Amino acid sequence: MGILALVGTRKGLFVLRGDDDRAGWRVDGPLLDGWGIYHATVDTRDGTLYAAANHVAYGPTVQRSADGGQTWKRSKKIGLPEWSGLTVRAAWHIEPGLPQEPGTLYLGTDPGALFRSDDAGETWEPNRGILEHPTRDRWFPGAGGLCCHSIQLDPGDPQRIHVGITAAGTFRSDDGGQTWLPANKNVAANYLPTPYPEVGQCVHKLLLHPARPDRLWQQNHCGVYRSDNGGDSWERLDQNGLPSGFGFPIMIDPNDPDTALVIPERSPEYRYSPDGRLTVFRTRDGGQTWEKMSDGLPQRAWAVVLREASAFDADSVYFGTQGGSFFALADGDTWVEGARHLPPILSVEVTQWSR
Amino acid sequence: MVQVVVPSIVAAQAGGRQRFDVEATTVGEALRGLPVADLLVNERGEWTRYLNVFVDGRDARELGGPACPLTGSREILIIAMISGG
Repeated sequence: MGILALVGTRKGLFVLRGDDDRAGWRVDGPLLDGWGIYHATVDTRDGTLYAAANHVAYGPTVQRSADGGQTWKRSKKIGLPEWSGLTVRAAWHIEPGLPQEPGTLYLGTDPGALFRSDDAGETWEPNRGILEHPTRDRWFPGAGGLCCHSIQLDPGDPQRIHVGITAAGTFRSDDGGQTWLPANKNVAANYLPTPYPEVGQCVHKLLLHPARPDRLWQQNHCGVYRSDNGGDSWERLDQNGLPSGFGFPIMIDPNDPDTALVIPERSPEYRYSPDGRLTVFRTRDGGQTWEKMSDGLPQRAWAVVLREASAFDADSVYFGTQGGSFFALADGDTWVEGARHLPPILSVEVTQWSR
Repeated sequence: MVQVVVPSIVAAQAGGRQRFDVEATTVGEALRGLPVADLLVNERGEWTRYLNVFVDGRDARELGGPACPLTGSREILIIAMISGG
C-alpha cells in the first residue's frame, strides 16, 4: 500500500502517489483540467472520487469518477429555491456520509448553504434548516465568500452533524439536520462590535476527533480553539506559544485526541508565514503547549496555506501551499517536499492506494 | 439547424465534443438544448458576463441576448472571456 494524495489546484486536480515512507512521490495530472478544485475526496465506502470543481465562467459543479479519475460525471445543477433569492456561487467541500448510509453525501457551498445527496452525488437537495436559519441575516461573507467549508459527522451518533460557515460560525444539529444551534460560545469575533456574539464567527476550519466525537478543534480567524463538549463551549489555545492565532488549516491525529497541528500566518492583514519562516506547530497536550516543526521546510518562505489545503491520516499529515509545493511529514518528524511548482494549491486529501 | 461551438473546457465535459447541431429559433433555446447547458446558461437561457456568444460573428448581446433570432444563422460561437490568473 502507498499513499494517494488528491491535490486540488486552481487549474485542475493532481494525483500524487507516495511510498509508505512518504519520501518519494509521483505526480500525475491535471485531471479536470482548467477547473478550480476547491476540494476533492475519495469516498472510502466505494472508492468513488468526488471533486468540488469551480470555474469563473462555467460556475460551480460537483464531479465524480468511478474509475480513479479517468472519466468524470457532473452532478445535476446545484440549485437553491427561487424564493430564497440565493444562487450557488461555489462548491466548497464534499463529505461522504457514514458507513451505514451508502450513497449519502454532504456538500458545503457558498452562500452558506449545505446540501445532501442520497443518490451518490447525482442530485443535491439544500438543507432547509441552514438555508432558513433564523440568524442568517447576521451572517456575512469573508474574503472567500460565505462558504460552508466544514462538515463533520459524528460516527457514534448519526443524528449529530457539525458545520462551519465563514463568517457565520459553527452550528450543530442533533436531529439529523432538521434544526441547527449556533455553537460559538467563547469564540471571539473581534472585528464585530460585540466581541463574543451568538453568530458571525469566522471559523476557518473545523474538525471532529473520530475516536472522541465530543472533542472538536477549530482554526478560527481569531484564534485556535478546542471544545470537549460537542461545541457547547470552546477554549482558546493560541496564547500558549503560537506566533499568531491566525491561520487557516488544522490537522489532527486520529490515534490521539490531544494532538493537533496548525500553520500560523502573520495576522489577518498580512496572511503569510510569520517572520518569513514557514512553520507547522504541533500540540500533544490538547493545546496547552505547542512545538515547532520546521525540519525540511524552506528556510525562507512567505507561504500561504488555505483552509482545505491540509490533510491527515493515521500515519502522518500533509499540506500544500499557494506557491504550489506539497509537503508530507516523513519519519523523524522531517518534512518532504513531494511536489513543487504546481498551480496554487487549494485542497489536499489523502487515502491509501494499492500498487 | 445551427451549429454551436463550445470552449474546450466545456467540450471536455461532453466527452470531448466541441460542436453540436441543434434545432432552435433563438440563441437561448439553442444553448438550453445543449448537454452542457448547465455550464453556460440559466433556466432563461441567459449567460454570464464571463461568456461572449457570437452568432455568425456578431455579438448576440447586441442582437437581443437569449431572444436573438436564429433565422438563417449557421454558427453560434461561445468564447469565455480571457481574464484572471
